[in-house]
Amino acid sequence: MTKTLNDDGAPAERTLLAPSKKSRPPKKKAGRKSPMRVHPALWLFPMPAVILLVIFMAMPTLQAFHYAITDWNGYSATFNYVGVDNFVRAFTGDILFMNAVTNNVKYMLVVVIVQTIVSLVLSLMLVRNTRGGIVLRALFFFPTILSSVSVAFIWRFIYDPNFGLLNSFLGAIGLEQFQGAYLGDPAQAIYWVALVQIWAHSGQMMVVFVAGLQAIPAELYEAAELDGANRRQRFTTITWPLLAPATAIVVAYTTIQSFKAFDLILGIAGNPPKSSVDIISTRIYTTFANTDFGYAAAQSVIFMLLIVLITVLQRRVLRLTQKQE
Amino acid sequence: MSYELSRRQVLGVFGAVGATFALASCAGPGSTGGAITATGPSAPLTGTPSGKVSFAHWRAEDKDVFDELGKRWAAEIADVSFTQDITTSNDYNAQGLQKIRGSNVGDAFASFRGAQFASMADAGIYTDLSATAAAAAFVPSLLTAGTLNKQTLGLPYQVVFPMPVSNLDAFDKANAESAPKDWDSFLGSCEALKTGGYVPMAWPGGDVGNAGQLFNCMVANNAPAEDACAQIEIGTLKVTDDWFIAMLKQYQELVPYMQDNAQGTAVEAVQNMFVQQQAAMLVTGSYHISAIRALGAKFPVDLIFPSTNASGKTANYEGVYNATFILGVNAASEVQPAAYSWIEFLSRPENAAYYADNTAQHVAVAGVEYSDPDLVKLSPWLDKRTMLAARFQFENLDVRNAVEATAIAVVGGASPEEAAESAQLIVDQNLR
Repeated sequence: MTKTLNDDGAPAERTLLAPSKKSRPPKKKAGRKSPMRVHPALWLFPMPAVILLVIFMAMPTLQAFHYAITDWNGYSATFNYVGVDNFVRAFTGDILFMNAVTNNVKYMLVVVIVQTIVSLVLSLMLVRNTRGGIVLRALFFFPTILSSVSVAFIWRFIYDPNFGLLNSFLGAIGLEQFQGAYLGDPAQAIYWVALVQIWAHSGQMMVVFVAGLQAIPAELYEAAELDGANRRQRFTTITWPLLAPATAIVVAYTTIQSFKAFDLILGIAGNPPKSSVDIISTRIYTTFANTDFGYAAAQSVIFMLLIVLITVLQRRVLRLTQKQE
Repeated sequence: MSYELSRRQVLGVFGAVGATFALASCAGPGSTGGAITATGPSAPLTGTPSGKVSFAHWRAEDKDVFDELGKRWAAEIADVSFTQDITTSNDYNAQGLQKIRGSNVGDAFASFRGAQFASMADAGIYTDLSATAAAAAFVPSLLTAGTLNKQTLGLPYQVVFPMPVSNLDAFDKANAESAPKDWDSFLGSCEALKTGGYVPMAWPGGDVGNAGQLFNCMVANNAPAEDACAQIEIGTLKVTDDWFIAMLKQYQELVPYMQDNAQGTAVEAVQNMFVQQQAAMLVTGSYHISAIRALGAKFPVDLIFPSTNASGKTANYEGVYNATFILGVNAASEVQPAAYSWIEFLSRPENAAYYADNTAQHVAVAGVEYSDPDLVKLSPWLDKRTMLAARFQFENLDVRNAVEATAIAVVGGASPEEAAESAQLIVDQNLR
């Protein structure tokens, strides 16, 4: 509870968490008393889009839920309903699926944290529309327009322990002790792939941050400077809070991107990938290839629900940050 | 005129349409391709070949050769035409069955030996080629890979040797034995090559598919039964058994003779090491000889079998081979006589020879005269006591990958026992 003064100077009580009922706008009454005054033919206009959406999005999704409770192998005319067995198997009886989930979480954490920081730092350095800044922004954005497969092949070459650029470079500057197997090291491989994702998409996220930074009114910085705020204070009190929506977008997008790094993983690690770099999407693909459609559909449903859960959580974070403004 | 629609009416319409689609989505998954009849697959339809034949396969590198053969075939038979539906090998492995069973593509098609052949046969896609002239043109012993329940469903067109390719110049210079008869003499050859300044074995441990070819060689004389891999899959043998651990220990003995960080090396890198004569053996298979020639290798090559038998003990096998690129006629094809005619055309020795010489692959068709120098050089291997590559006995890809990953783990420094135990957990969870 906080106390403020009314127009007449009298104290008025209000809560920050629960605004008074009086301040709420009156609810519109919906339902049968709100007829839609449009010509029925107008309903036909969105139909092509709706039909495509239903056939290519909604129906396959519903079918996935259906297949997920069967043991269908992908080609037989017959199948059995197995209830929730496929889901139980995924969580309790499948080392490979749980390994893929673990890898994916590691991958997501590294990509989200490092990529957000890198793109934020880049955007802070290149926010001004100088000629050099624009050129550098284009340069950092460039990897985004490359196909994932091209990126994967470039980095396969970089990481190769014998012919790769990385080990050659380390050898050339006398740091042989840091040379490694990279993708061949089961404990590190997933992080090396995460680095590729960060390299490829930091520029893209930098653009989002630059847009966010350029939307912050310059007057705020001028006022802060007059008040004697140093650079760190200006960042923590102005830049960072006002960049919250852009940050939320970057984090949400990067998270979903990390779960869908299918083409990058297959390009860099081959198909099927080694278990050290197997993530949920590649695991689902292998399960489909293994003619285990019912189980693969169950894995897809889990995957979908996981992304929905994370997206909902992130939308809440976004809403919270917007409220704080 | 009033066009008022209440929200309830609109929602009602959308609800009804949505419910219709939801019900449609709940239709049971089912088959639209060929189905297995009570008597099993039947012979391809005979009759006058006509129509456009789609040939589905994964070998983009063979496109020009098949195009040329397709032209020759179309010139010979009126009313037929030919098209190729090529998918990358990874995608073909994963989705080939789904694509072909719909019969929109793949009137004639190829399949990988092992899991893919088994599931395609199970799906009833193949016709029975047992009593056909096409099957009669093949070396009978090489048809095993395409045979199921005594029916020849597919014709394995290519014969490859998944064994290390050796640079004979390097062996000569290092004074190393190029045809070792047992494990000790193989290690002796490796030691001589190492002393001579070569990396004896360039092994692509970063590439699961190619790394697994050495597994075929290592299993051949170690396994207690010819179908050991199939037995591992069904649980009658385990990767924690002594013979398997002993085999992994032999992998450990090879580590000093492989390039550094072999477990992370890609296949392109080992090819380059071999072509640049840094490495004396390319540990993949004969199917890479055309690639290394394309990269500029001029030196003479042969195959070398790392026989794992102890000295003084006779080896069961002198090498390993694989019969793959299994040709089949789609049971659901609408142009089945033409599809069969195409397969029969490929099975003629003169056409098989054209294919072989232009792709640097041996073929399983009898009476083929090779003119490619490498094929001629390697031809004696066709008559040796070789074992059909064991890794393709696995029908479950997760099991195969887990079992083969033990070798990669051991080369990377894991103990054979730990690697085997980890793999056995995955094998066990896939036992049905």
